[in-house]
Amino acid sequence: MRDPSFDMEEPGTFIFDGPRSTAGMRLNRFALSLKQPSNRATFLADPDAFMNRWDLTERERSLVEARDWTGLLAAGGHLQAILKLAATLGLNLYHIGAHNCGVDAHQMMHACPRRVVSDMPHG
Amino acid sequence: MAEIIGGIGISHTPSMGMAFDAGMRDGFAPEWQPWYEGTRAVKGWLADARPDQIVVIYNDHLNHFEFDAYPTLAIGVSNSFRQADEGWGPRAFPDLPGDSDFGWFVTERLVHGGFDMTVCQDLAVDHGIYSWLPYLADTPWPAPILPIAVNMVRHPLPTSQRLWQLGNALGEAVRAYEPDQRIVVIATGGMSHQISGGRFGMANEGLDRFFLAHLQDDAARLLAIPQRELMRLGGTEAAELSIWFAMRAALSSTVREVHRFHTFPKITGCGVIVFEEPPVVTDAIAVGGR
Repeated sequence: MRDPSFDMEEPGTFIFDGPRSTAGMRLNRFALSLKQPSNRATFLADPDAFMNRWDLTERERSLVEARDWTGLLAAGGHLQAILKLAATLGLNLYHIGAHNCGVDAHQMMHACPRRVVSDMPHG
Repeated sequence: MAEIIGGIGISHTPSMGMAFDAGMRDGFAPEWQPWYEGTRAVKGWLADARPDQIVVIYNDHLNHFEFDAYPTLAIGVSNSFRQADEGWGPRAFPDLPGDSDFGWFVTERLVHGGFDMTVCQDLAVDHGIYSWLPYLADTPWPAPILPIAVNMVRHPLPTSQRLWQLGNALGEAVRAYEPDQRIVVIATGGMSHQISGGRFGMANEGLDRFFLAHLQDDAARLLAIPQRELMRLGGTEAAELSIWFAMRAALSSTVREVHRFHTFPKITGCGVIVFEEPPVVTDAIAVGGR
């Protein structure tokens, strides 16, 4: 795995701005509903039926089914919302970050903290 | 009259909270032991400070607010604040006490002073407060908490300059409160971290230490750094360092740093700094501007 760079472009960095938030409304509503324990249970029992409630597009449903964490973020899912989906599935932040970096969660856990050579800020 | 006796800046992260629970049960993991040790002196300082109120400027992580209505600046006014369930179930800690009389007083001052706060009379608080609080205080929690939530999840974020001004206004409001109370102002966020994308887990200790070193006497230099530059150097979530300005600006120009500690356990720079006011309080400084 390469050391992190100082670039702000995808796929290194996702910036959650307004247009992305508009694109992700359905996904984020769905994922944030999983803060409720009863919704977590319902989703795990019958994912299809639960996703039907949230008006997800075919594309969004397939990203969820594939656990395509990177695709979910690119489609407008907010990390903090998508993390609820991961939590419901018994996964955590490292699984998402690892997928973003193309490694497995164990490798990612081992790699962190990924220290960068410091550069002083420019104002 | 109420006086601000000091301020604390501190990082937050879910893993900090999980590490505390595991640490109390089985002993701390090696990467978290330094943070536990490093916060002992801060816990001692807070106990000795005997605050009557604690104002906390923090950020929610989609655990209370959602995108149908996500406030840029919000204040919790209630006599109690629940712990949010972040998806793994709540941790074994009591609700946070609040003091709604103090909350309404500060709200009125802020709104009349130009900060149109969203007022939340039922606010669930997440790891933004719950992750570090057990390191700094035992239960029952030592004083009522007044939470002020800053949007750090969706751009546009409030600017560092605006948060500095918020801190100024907060300081003025608190010092105008009539009861003779001792108030501590805490800001929490950052430090360097990025929790998504190919830069996941990036750690810029140099940036964190630079920030801590300049916050007391050279905040203007930090304020001049655009948030995007903080994000470029420290990761997207390093923008949360802006929140610390609200604490610094609530204090006077004559504060004295009494504790500072930094470590990088895993994916978030964990720093803490404590400023203490001299016994005679002077006016808040105003180096912010627009």
